[in-house]
Amino acid sequence: MVTKTEETQLNNLENQVDNGGGGAWEYLSLIRKLNLRRSDKVLNHGLSILNNPKFRSTLGPDEWTLYEQVAVAAMDCQCLDVAKDCIKVLRKRFPESKRVGRLEAMLLEAKGSWELAEKAYTSLLEDSPLDQTIHKRRVAMAKAQGNISGAIEWLNKYLEIFMADHDAWRELAEIYVSLQMYKQAAFCYEELILSQPTVPLYHLAYADVLYTLGGLENLQTAKKYYASTIDLTGGKNTRALFGVCLCTSAIVQLVKGKNKEDKEGSQVQSLAAKVLEKEYKQKAPDKLPQLTTALKSLTLSS
Amino acid sequence: MAEDLVLDTAIRDWVLIPLSVVMVLIGVLRYFVSKLLRSSQTPDAKIVKEGQVMLRARNLRAGANFIPSKAFLARKIYFCNEENGLLFVPKGQATNPQAQMFSDPNMAMDMMKKNLSMIIPQTLTFAWVNFFFSGFVAAKIPFPLTQRFRSMLQNGIDLSTVDVSYVSSRSWYFLNLFGLRGFFSLILGEENAVDDTQRMMQMGGFGFDPSKGLSAEKDNLDITQHDWALPNFEQRAEAVLRKFVR
Repeated sequence: MVTKTEETQLNNLENQVDNGGGGAWEYLSLIRKLNLRRSDKVLNHGLSILNNPKFRSTLGPDEWTLYEQVAVAAMDCQCLDVAKDCIKVLRKRFPESKRVGRLEAMLLEAKGSWELAEKAYTSLLEDSPLDQTIHKRRVAMAKAQGNISGAIEWLNKYLEIFMADHDAWRELAEIYVSLQMYKQAAFCYEELILSQPTVPLYHLAYADVLYTLGGLENLQTAKKYYASTIDLTGGKNTRALFGVCLCTSAIVQLVKGKNKEDKEGSQVQSLAAKVLEKEYKQKAPDKLPQLTTALKSLTLSS
Repeated sequence: MAEDLVLDTAIRDWVLIPLSVVMVLIGVLRYFVSKLLRSSQTPDAKIVKEGQVMLRARNLRAGANFIPSKAFLARKIYFCNEENGLLFVPKGQATNPQAQMFSDPNMAMDMMKKNLSMIIPQTLTFAWVNFFFSGFVAAKIPFPLTQRFRSMLQNGIDLSTVDVSYVSSRSWYFLNLFGLRGFFSLILGEENAVDDTQRMMQMGGFGFDPSKGLSAEKDNLDITQHDWALPNFEQRAEAVLRKFVR
């Protein structure tokens, strides 16, 4: 997670570097530390450092880390020649390294020669079967080839061992949603909520999945999770506000045929509608009529 | 109280400074030797998995109230059932670290290497100091101290009449042994400091048993009550929105 101070620090540095104010190395180090993806910038500034032998020599052993960073960024930008050069330098310095082997396999992957890359990753995994990055690369590769079921298989295998890795759970959840396998996706989102109970995005996504699944129980649960998203975001999340309204009207429709014994006393939905109207009035007044008709159609059915 | 002792400058030149220099050099040498001997440990898949299971179970316990009770119960059964639950350790299968150490030569080897780089140089230098520099005063600290410091500063001298502010040579060795840590972290880099005190503690605390952690986690999970927190959130959301509407 990137904190607010780190973000401002990063933006300041980025501004400074982009306007030729120096500090490129600090900027790159910060990106590495925060594990961000700004490949174009890394490629630009990293190359300018690497092409400057005087500055490069002041880095000491960090020079090689920079080579690695630039190589990965270059692959991301499809500058395969640059990546190739960087990897060649690294290979010359560390002839036996597995980390360089991983980079070489990634280069194969970037070129699109899937079979060769697959072979390289497999041989790397034989030496160190617990390398998380390689496992993840395999998933990414399967996904890049459009082999979604393969990606799911790899991810499940990965999660069998590294079951506390919430990024992997998130990836799996998104894949399941894209395949409309909502029950499985719901499980993954539960897992995400467990690992980080205060991240509203997971509550929201879980509610979305439950609402899509339908059924009275799921709808009621979904409404609760939309409510928790509202609480966690302080009412700023429009999607959650809409979600509460939709859930309530759907629940009312389902219950209508039967006896109306449990009229839930909560007024979340009407309040949410009010907040929505207010927000639209402030920020997008021309869309207000559409909103009011939509909301009316929701409340009409009750 | 004895009169002021005059210390020969030769003691400074031939005892005090050489002793410190030798301690530093030995520390540096030991760092490089242990770096050479260090074997890259390949983590065992089973141990990694157990760690991850524990982490996930702990998450489940901490966040239990944030998921519906059905989901919680399903996970609880998955972790705790007595047939193939992840946290369930069959009786008798719990590995004994002692036995594991004997069965795995690598582990014994690591222990030996650790000892090699720690105990041997220490005994040697101690013997060396004891042999050449035992039993005389090597330095004086510029402020008076109470009697209680006698055992710390005048190790090796059994005279109660000497003022406590004099430091015996053997005590100087001990002061160096434990006091050079900051200096090592300066010259060898932050993490590389040879920390004797910490290592000694590690020696004592070794023998962690992962299966014990697993069954403890299972017991914890077994008694966890599920109390869904979400219904409250509806009221809280209401309060938040009220504030907004106003």
